[in-house]
Amino acid sequence: MKYKSQAVAMPYFIAAIGLFVGQILFGLVLGLQYVVGDFLFPSIPFNIARMVHTNLLIVWLLFGFMGSAYYLVPEEAETELYSPKLALGLFWIFLAAGALTILGYLFVDYNTLASATGNDILATMGREFLEQPLLTKIGIVVVALAFLFNISMTMLKGRKTVINIVLLLGLWGLAVFFLFSFYNPTNLVMDKFYWWWVVHLWVEGVWELIMAALLAFVLIKVTGVDREVIEKWLYVIITLALVTGIIGTGHHYFWIGTPAYWQWWGSIFSALEPIPFFAMTVFAFNMVNRRRREHPNRAAVLWALGTGVMAFLGAGVWGFLHTLAPVNYYTHGSQITAAHGHMAFYGAYVMVVITIMSYAMPILRGRQANSNKAQVIEMWSFWIMTISMVFITLFLTGAGILQVWLQRVSEDPMPFMMVQDQIALFYWMRLWSGVGFAVGLVLYVVSFFIKGKEPEAVAA
Amino acid sequence: MNTPAYTLDARAADATAPTPHLPGDLAIWIFILAELLAFGVFLVAYAFARSGDVAGFDARQLGLDRDAGAINTVLLLTSSFFVVRATQAVAAGACARASGWLVGAIGCGLGFVVIKVFEYAEKFGAGVTLSSSTFDMFYLSLTFFHFMHVLLGLVILAALWLGTRQRRYGPDNMNGIESGAAYWHMVDLVWLILFPLVYVMR
Amino acid sequence: MMPPDPRPIHATPARALGVWTFLIAATLVTWLVGERGAHGPAVVALMFGLAYIKGSLIILEFMALRRAPLMWRMLTLGWLTSVCAAIAIAYWKGMNS
Repeated sequence: MKYKSQAVAMPYFIAAIGLFVGQILFGLVLGLQYVVGDFLFPSIPFNIARMVHTNLLIVWLLFGFMGSAYYLVPEEAETELYSPKLALGLFWIFLAAGALTILGYLFVDYNTLASATGNDILATMGREFLEQPLLTKIGIVVVALAFLFNISMTMLKGRKTVINIVLLLGLWGLAVFFLFSFYNPTNLVMDKFYWWWVVHLWVEGVWELIMAALLAFVLIKVTGVDREVIEKWLYVIITLALVTGIIGTGHHYFWIGTPAYWQWWGSIFSALEPIPFFAMTVFAFNMVNRRRREHPNRAAVLWALGTGVMAFLGAGVWGFLHTLAPVNYYTHGSQITAAHGHMAFYGAYVMVVITIMSYAMPILRGRQANSNKAQVIEMWSFWIMTISMVFITLFLTGAGILQVWLQRVSEDPMPFMMVQDQIALFYWMRLWSGVGFAVGLVLYVVSFFIKGKEPEAVAA
Repeated sequence: MNTPAYTLDARAADATAPTPHLPGDLAIWIFILAELLAFGVFLVAYAFARSGDVAGFDARQLGLDRDAGAINTVLLLTSSFFVVRATQAVAAGACARASGWLVGAIGCGLGFVVIKVFEYAEKFGAGVTLSSSTFDMFYLSLTFFHFMHVLLGLVILAALWLGTRQRRYGPDNMNGIESGAAYWHMVDLVWLILFPLVYVMR
Repeated sequence: MMPPDPRPIHATPARALGVWTFLIAATLVTWLVGERGAHGPAVVALMFGLAYIKGSLIILEFMALRRAPLMWRMLTLGWLTSVCAAIAIAYWKGMNS
């Protein structure tokens, strides 16, 4: 660790992993509820479990992004963090707010929660992924602004690298677009229209900048390739991501009451969205192939390469599958969407956060890399989680195709719930793949507790 | 950003024989390819949407101002020619002459913008919107998407002009001007297909 | 920093002027087609034949890819070829429906 203040990243990473475990537990509950409908009913109904599963994902990724920024920005700027105390204070505020919100979901009736937290003053609740009570949303904004102030000041007083600028651009964009979660028009079409300004412009816009910056940082560190080369790639990737991603928002505007030109705009631009992901894959492999040194942390290199491949498959290929308007006419909101969502979130954002944790955690704990034994366990967890996710995606895709066929394409369409019975076998297989994923995650956590001798660095 | 592109490929940099050389930065070329792909998909989408409703497209197309389109083609081609002359001037070590050519190129580009603005004003006045017909949707989207590229291209040309004023380029430092020039030619290239396809073909 | 290639990459001013003259002349033909309201496969073939040549000239002469690595000429000319071919197919499809 080059700068003392980078240490504040540690609690963020630990919290991220803890919430990740929680997310997967609720994922298993949900997977079971798909086939055993009254499992845990009425204490944790399906809608609540789903809310907890998705909200935990977002919150732990935010913890991951913030931890990454606290680690990365000082090192890139070559200066201590502007205020480590503020960073630590924000950590506890954010953790407490997150925990209270999740507990609120679980133990308070959602309507009661809404009226107790000021939803009558400004209605913002009840929208998918943005279910957080008004107080939590305000808390998120305050924490985000203070966080951005802290890292922006750090960058301003130090070296301004392209990686830092791209990362900050992404993080500022994240905060700005979140503001649309406070805008809740009564017209349902308008509501959805702006809802996507948060959801889509996050995951297919500004988050891609964060992802590219984090990946570039780790690649510079583990390969020793010239910064100039990596920065050039970064420029190309973020431009492509923004051009395709921003207008690509249109692929959410099919068949929901928005003007028909969105079908063309959305189809054309989102069909090109795989390109930046493909460029990222080529970038990662190209840099590792041209590495100037063998970094002792092989696990981090594996995660970095895995991010490239899985983001391209999950976000690029599985997104493309149903992004053209005529295809989406049939697949809109089916299990195909769920398949894409799972692999894209895992491949792009889960894996990039794990990549930087895998690289930074050993250094934060005072060594270049973990012992060989710990790394082997970590790499096992990589393969088990990744392969399980591939299976989850494949089974959901199978479920989706069958669902679309029975429910929407066939001459004699079946009602939704009857179709759900027909695809139960896929749901069972998805559940078992989910169990596999949980095993991988346990191994990942275990890898942090394996001791042993630090491996020697090898010069290439 | 002033490193020549071929250093991205270590093997090419090692070669001592005269190697075929990509004028401009590899990054700008990747960007140009992505742009061409986006325009290509959009143009082909137009062609196929038209094939489903030839009569409807042809009727709406009659309302377009072909004279303005042709003048704009001439302006873009001339502008591109000036940029070529500017690049040649830099390669010959005459930065001052290059900035003169660039002023001409920017002038032609601005002419394109002015004519397009008048064209749009007339169309909007006539009630053409993205939703008034499929042809109008394509006409507005394609030309506006291209228009945005003309504006970006003009910003790039202005940066090149500033660079030549400051003698930043020369026979040994062609990367910047070649990259910017390639982008401007791409804007021209797209218009060369767009104009006959949308304004004339029936 | 330039590789030692004796031939000028950006051709000569005279050559560029020749290319420009051709491009303008071809544009006038396209404009005339529009002026007269000419239509039909022969006219469209002529117009896009000219557009193809114009595009190739922009790519090879103005973008100066004439002496670039083969891959880059294939990518750009390939783009031009496939777009023009797709337009031709779409036009033909429109005639027959």
